[in-house]
Amino acid sequence: MSFGGEFLCHPDLFPGRRSGEPWGERRLVLDVPGGPYRFSGLAETQVEALRLRFGRLCRVLAAAAPKTAEAGVHTAVFRAPGADFRDLDTRGWEYTLDQDHAASFVRIAGLRLMARLDWAPDLTGGLWTPEVAGEMWVSVLENYLRLLVAYRLVAEGGVLLHSAGVSDGHWGWLLLGPSGAGKTTASRLCLAAGAEILSDDLNAARFPDGGGGPVVARLPFTGDLGERQGEPGAWPLRAVLRLRQGTAESLVPLSPAAAFAALVAAAPYVNRDVWRREPLLAALERLAHAVPAWELTFSLGTDLWSILAKIPP
Amino acid sequence: MSEITLSTVLRRPSDVRYRRIDGEAVVLRQSTAEVLVLNGVGATVLDLADGKRPVDAWIDALAQEYGADRETVARDVLEFAGEASEAGLLEPVPATSAEKAGG
Repeated sequence: MSFGGEFLCHPDLFPGRRSGEPWGERRLVLDVPGGPYRFSGLAETQVEALRLRFGRLCRVLAAAAPKTAEAGVHTAVFRAPGADFRDLDTRGWEYTLDQDHAASFVRIAGLRLMARLDWAPDLTGGLWTPEVAGEMWVSVLENYLRLLVAYRLVAEGGVLLHSAGVSDGHWGWLLLGPSGAGKTTASRLCLAAGAEILSDDLNAARFPDGGGGPVVARLPFTGDLGERQGEPGAWPLRAVLRLRQGTAESLVPLSPAAAFAALVAAAPYVNRDVWRREPLLAALERLAHAVPAWELTFSLGTDLWSILAKIPP
Repeated sequence: MSEITLSTVLRRPSDVRYRRIDGEAVVLRQSTAEVLVLNGVGATVLDLADGKRPVDAWIDALAQEYGADRETVARDVLEFAGEASEAGLLEPVPATSAEKAGG
């Protein structure tokens, strides 16, 4: 199927540039790693929904605030007719954004959304949706933001990782694995043993500007566990663990190549972009060399948190 | 998929990228986001798959590099090339393209 056909009735009419009719004149900023992320063209109802969703991470800008005062990535939000989008039965369906990559842009199609990222040369975004309020609008924005954060982190030398992030308040650990590998199960075991769960879905690994080893940074993207409005924070990354569920508990070191492979597989969105892959691979290779990596086989009876705590830094 | 012989010319598809890390190769097939880890010999085969040299030339290079029996190397390379092609890591170059690329 050609780009967008799964979600759009007229994929050939996908916006060729960042223009359209805005929903309103409201603006806000989301303070998320890789950001700040500025959004304009919003309706009051859209702002209110995002304020509820992101809480302290969301700063609503006054109408009189100068438009050039905020640094970060700007996304303009536009109206799109509801009739442009296919009605899909999403029961039992794994949602994946459709992406089309080119040298200077990425086009994105999804449930009730069209979006594009343009590098000219700085990154800007455009988002078209028929949703003006409520959960569906928040879902549209969040799906777009996840992808945007992935690209921004890579531009900073970091990565977005499909992972469970856990912390003891001092260190952070990242647990990797495809869907079904046990990220949420492992997170529950750690939570029951007293760990803090940063997210059981998406976490950021970054290298601080001032040097030093990598850190795991909290993101507001969670599955079943983690705080969607959690205080921003970063913890030194103690280890990366590739998860396997099994009856024979084991902890086996991964070679740098195996660690790198596990990290590449866990880096969503950008790992399919042939135009922007080199910075991603460079960041992942740096991470694979900087942090001990292990394969952890565990079961529901495993004292997983104790195992993590015993891994030497 | 056509049979791979000593005269077949193979190349890496445009969506396949790999990096050598500590003697192994991590291969990313970007269209599907699949990731594989190959040993050093597999990495060397990927180096050789430039779309110009036939498989026969790979065997010469590998037999020399590893000081191994050519017949054994040939059997292993043909088997690996078949599996790598099935996995989308290698693709045959059409005869006319290979002739042009080869000079």
